[in-house]
Amino acid sequence: MSQSDFTVEIFQNEYLTAGAREVNSIVTVTAPDDLARATDATTGRAEAIIIDCSGSMDYPHAKIVQARAATQAALDVVRDGVAFAVIAGTEVARPVFPNDGSLVIASPQTRQAAKQVVGNLRPGGGTAMGSWLRLARQMLTSGSAGLRHAILLTDGKNEHEAPEQLTTAISECDGVFSCDCRGVGTDWQVAELRRISTALLGTVDIVPDPSGLTADFEAMMATAMGKAVADVALRVWTPQSAELQFVKQVAPTVDDLTGRRTQSGPQAGDYPTGAWGGGESRDYHVCVQVNAAAVGQEMLASRISLIVGGQVQGQGLVRAVWTDDEALSTRINANVAHYTGQAELAKAIQDGLEARKQGDEEIATAKLGRAVALAQESGNEDTARLLAKVVDVVDAATGTVRLKKKIDDADEMALDTRSTKTVRTRK
Amino acid sequence: MTAAGESVSCPTCGQPVWPDDNFCEACSTDLAPAVTSGDSSQPATRQCPNCAGTSITPEGYCESCGRKLPAGNDHVELELDLVAGVTDKGLRHSRNEDAMALATTQSKAGPVALAVVCDGVSTSSHPDEASQAASQAAVQVLLAAVRGGSDLGVSSVGAVKAAQKALAELADSARLHANAPSATFVSAVVTAEQVTVCWLGDSRAYWIDADGPATSRQLTVDDSIAAELVARGLSEAEAMALPQAHVVTGWIGADASDAQPHVTVFDPQGAGAVLLCSDGLWNYQPDVAGLAEMALPDAVRDPLRTAATLVKFAIESGGSDNVTVVLIPFPPGTRTRPGDTSVIAATDLGDPR
Repeated sequence: MSQSDFTVEIFQNEYLTAGAREVNSIVTVTAPDDLARATDATTGRAEAIIIDCSGSMDYPHAKIVQARAATQAALDVVRDGVAFAVIAGTEVARPVFPNDGSLVIASPQTRQAAKQVVGNLRPGGGTAMGSWLRLARQMLTSGSAGLRHAILLTDGKNEHEAPEQLTTAISECDGVFSCDCRGVGTDWQVAELRRISTALLGTVDIVPDPSGLTADFEAMMATAMGKAVADVALRVWTPQSAELQFVKQVAPTVDDLTGRRTQSGPQAGDYPTGAWGGGESRDYHVCVQVNAAAVGQEMLASRISLIVGGQVQGQGLVRAVWTDDEALSTRINANVAHYTGQAELAKAIQDGLEARKQGDEEIATAKLGRAVALAQESGNEDTARLLAKVVDVVDAATGTVRLKKKIDDADEMALDTRSTKTVRTRK
Repeated sequence: MTAAGESVSCPTCGQPVWPDDNFCEACSTDLAPAVTSGDSSQPATRQCPNCAGTSITPEGYCESCGRKLPAGNDHVELELDLVAGVTDKGLRHSRNEDAMALATTQSKAGPVALAVVCDGVSTSSHPDEASQAASQAAVQVLLAAVRGGSDLGVSSVGAVKAAQKALAELADSARLHANAPSATFVSAVVTAEQVTVCWLGDSRAYWIDADGPATSRQLTVDDSIAAELVARGLSEAEAMALPQAHVVTGWIGADASDAQPHVTVFDPQGAGAVLLCSDGLWNYQPDVAGLAEMALPDAVRDPLRTAATLVKFAIESGGSDNVTVVLIPFPPGTRTRPGDTSVIAATDLGDPR
């Protein structure tokens, strides 16, 4: 194995009590530092920026002003040689730069020309995100770039196309490009953008104040420029007659990949992880149910590797050893426990906010209280801070909270979008 | 194996030897080398005992059902014409730190069987390699002594020294002086007249008398806290109940314990078998009468089956430790089975069950 391979580390308690079948492990995948050198850093990369130009972007006017400025700032981060495009989104999608629906190679001249066109964008019209995504797909695939990425900015709901149209567009774009979604203000729907960002392996976040857009766009584009390989997949082999319970990314965010399996062999499935940058590290929680073997027996419960450019890289072995020694089998792996807690934290927040929307204050209080306790216990300070804007914490350790009477929409949406952010424990 | 009657020559000096010769009388080359539990090489093609899959990962897992295939020494059965042994890693331990080495040869007085059992001390470094190296080194010394007609008691102490040296070399090669590899030791050399037993630690030798439990007896006295307390008047049950009962007070190891090996010579009055075992067996049945009841009458005529029975007993009783059982029928050579020759190539042996 060469030095510039992905590495796979397994954290687990391999000891199972007699008859136990569930094997949990945390898989840490790390890309090599010199990953960028493995691919050409500029060619083969395509970027699209989709700017919501619906009428509401003019109310307040700062939204469109800041969106233009942010797009221009992001274009300055696009490296020379990268193919790019800018799309204006209303009830239809319009190619803004280039206006023929293709891509332009970044250079000082093209960047300047694009920025000028962006500066002239005027709001007016509706919102049909499915059409925006379809145009992005068309433009991003018009060249030969393999590393395709889009930024989608909106300030509202998907009101001017049928929900199925967005669903269809998302599935058409799945696996074609990755998409980071941002909502400016508080009139957009977290669930809608999360649906896009999850399927397209990107991030979702709120930018409550338009003045925050520029810094956010610059950071997003810098991260995109740091990606070196696309379409990395996690391959999970399991023994015959074993059942894979779930495969979840658990760091840096919780993202359930279970339903995204593509069968890659009689006993193996691939899960998409999107694009990776050099030195990037993520954690996954893999849970598999195997047939119990006799005490003293050992089994390979899963083998996890990375598929990079069609090549297998790195390997981690998840083992199961049956024992009647309770001191061994009852030991809980700290990493598994931590991430089980982080996943529960994300779910408690989402369930709590949903219950609150439905007017069920009792459940909302219980769920958000549990979230406060989990955030405290695991040292997830960012989430704890966001929670404190939605509930009054009476006792963090026990999760005793009171719902705030008045909750700022932006705070609630920030908590919702960032509920999946996790903290790592060890190292 | 070579067909009887065919004329063969010594691979070293070329002098003619009989197919069932154990060594070349001209140059003393080993023709029937000692076999040990660790030197069974893995067969070229392996098959999963669970699902019969034949695709095995480099780490030794079945590519189909995921089961770990038994390691080379997880369970080993060895059988030479005059001696047989079984070793098993048991249920609690992840590897087998016991080892055994068996050999048969001829002396002027007739056939001789010899065996060494070592139990690696779990808390030391590389205990599995330690027991392996020690038993191998010791059995070679005993073989040479029998062939050379040396005093077997003196030679047994020499075998312990050779085992000590092997452990010191292991420690040197792996830089393990901080936690020196160590093991217990018990050996037996069984001639037509006599049984010579040598030990250090708590692996044991028993005499299983063909006449029954009443005349059977334990031949060794453990080097352990428990045995010392018994010697001072505590009952065996009381002593074994103490938490430190199993702490050995004598062992072979690179840390050169100054405990001296013990030698006992015993002249059996009739047929029987010498049983060597690690504490993985006697923990579940320390009493010689109980062992004899399980071992008889097969111990004398089918030592492999008897060893397997006793190992199975230990595993079914809990298998908390590695377990090794070696049986040497007395007098050696009385057991006859059609088609037997005393030349058994090492490659014919030691296949996992």
